[in-house]
Amino acid sequence: MANGMNRISWLGTSPRNAFMLAGLVALLVLLPLFLGQSWLSITTEMLILALAASSLNIMLGYTGMVSFGPAGIYAVGAYTTGVFMEKLGIGIVPAVLAAPVMAGIIGFLVGWICVRRSAVYFALLTLAFSQIIWTVVFQWYSVTGGDDGLVSVPVPDFFFEITNCYYFMLAVVSVCLFIIWKIVNSPFGMTLQAIRENPNRVEFIGVNVKHYQLASFVISSVFLGIAGSMHCVFSGSAFPDYAYWVKSADMLVICLLGGIYNFFGPLVGTVVYTVLTKVISEYTMHWHLVLGGIIVLIILAMRKGVVGTLANYWANRKSAAA
Amino acid sequence: MMLLEAKGISKSFGGLSAVSEVDLVIGKEELVSIIGPNGAGKSTLFNLITGHIRPDRGTVLYKGEDITGRKPYDISRMGVGRSFQKLNIFPRLTTFQNVQASLFSAKKINRNIFADSCRMLGDEVEDILESVGLGGQSETLGGLLAHGDQKRLEIGIALALNPELLLLDEPTQGMSPGETVETTELIRGLVRARHISLAFVEHDMSVVFGISDRINVLHQGMLIFSGKPEEVKANEEVQRIYLGKSEK
Repeated sequence: MANGMNRISWLGTSPRNAFMLAGLVALLVLLPLFLGQSWLSITTEMLILALAASSLNIMLGYTGMVSFGPAGIYAVGAYTTGVFMEKLGIGIVPAVLAAPVMAGIIGFLVGWICVRRSAVYFALLTLAFSQIIWTVVFQWYSVTGGDDGLVSVPVPDFFFEITNCYYFMLAVVSVCLFIIWKIVNSPFGMTLQAIRENPNRVEFIGVNVKHYQLASFVISSVFLGIAGSMHCVFSGSAFPDYAYWVKSADMLVICLLGGIYNFFGPLVGTVVYTVLTKVISEYTMHWHLVLGGIIVLIILAMRKGVVGTLANYWANRKSAAA
Repeated sequence: MMLLEAKGISKSFGGLSAVSEVDLVIGKEELVSIIGPNGAGKSTLFNLITGHIRPDRGTVLYKGEDITGRKPYDISRMGVGRSFQKLNIFPRLTTFQNVQASLFSAKKINRNIFADSCRMLGDEVEDILESVGLGGQSETLGGLLAHGDQKRLEIGIALALNPELLLLDEPTQGMSPGETVETTELIRGLVRARHISLAFVEHDMSVVFGISDRINVLHQGMLIFSGKPEEVKANEEVQRIYLGKSEK
């Protein structure tokens, strides 16, 4: 960020970072050669979860809005695709494309009300709305399948082969993350960060804070909708749990674990969280307790999250060496 | 025509009158100061003008247009910039980004969601930083600047709006004598170079008498006197309630 001269403008980063990024992408492309079916499936889930967490972080880390309800919007995306395909017999392409549109519309309506309040009141409103969405999903049997969920979404056979599914998700998630990257590094993204830092001051540089908070809410919702839709395609199902507050808490914890002030925080947070969950649950049935303890320790020891803390450490070393 | 005219503005907070029946005028390219003891209503007056709070009575005209009760972002967009008494910057953005964010808003490009903002408007940002004495500190996080530099950064943020009227609330508060002199020069220079009007609240009488075209004296929410520095010095009432205490 410091050296603006050496910067690939369309990519929004330096050549050195672009090189590292290319390496990461190459690694992800080659991953199916090394991973077994089970871990490849877990990695695919991670991709989707990473997109969801990054979407939430547009609000959380970049605009400073703590939402307790991303799962509600995520479920809107999943159920839009699921209902379109299973109940209405619509093809996968329109069913997937409809998800971000529907999530964006619901996000606009919910956000329009929520941004009227700030801080903890905002958080509670988002929680309330996500619980309303959960209740609707849970009880509207004729459309959502109620507590049974949608279990036979007619996803094309292509996706049953986990390698295909993985590559598809990798492509969708990469494109979405790239768009999010562009957005948070744009003048609009800078305005969001200024709002995060000091919403009152921003009013006095001519910015209508509520409009920008709503825009952030809607953009975040659109990408959450895509993530939800991808989950539906991946699993061929949708369940009320997707909208439950526990899912929102997972996303928040992932962002905090990785670090909310860094674009890569939610991505690293997803990997740490998922791997910890899988590994610990192999050893003990009380894995929730152990995981909780570890998360508490990480958050206490690394207040800025894994990525934020490491970035600080490297910056300090660099300046110490200079 | 006056650039800003506040007519009979009043505001009370729960029965306590903070500002009452104040008439304040600021002319084009005029440098005025507002003085008064703590609690005289100086900051409240700024807050009433800039839309932070709504007056109970009275009107505020800017360039002849009634702006009473408008939102702060509307008033800022019309060309009224301000700084605050308490430090009010974007602490986790770099010094560069602090000014850049303001410039994006002023130039109405903050709705652009795909351009790479990294060095956008870089020259203009650097110019502004240079003009407030923060050249070379671009990459320092705003919150890590020294106190006096943060005060100057606030002025930079306000300047990025390209304001016609700049309201500075205690611009030299907490500064060393050396910094105070620099900031005083900075304020005087801004008015001359940019042809703007500037009003500032200040406790340091050397600054007030050094650069003001006109001094407004507030006492218990009322404007008790407005005039040239020498007139203020000669006014007995002002001497009695205010200057007597701080002037030797």
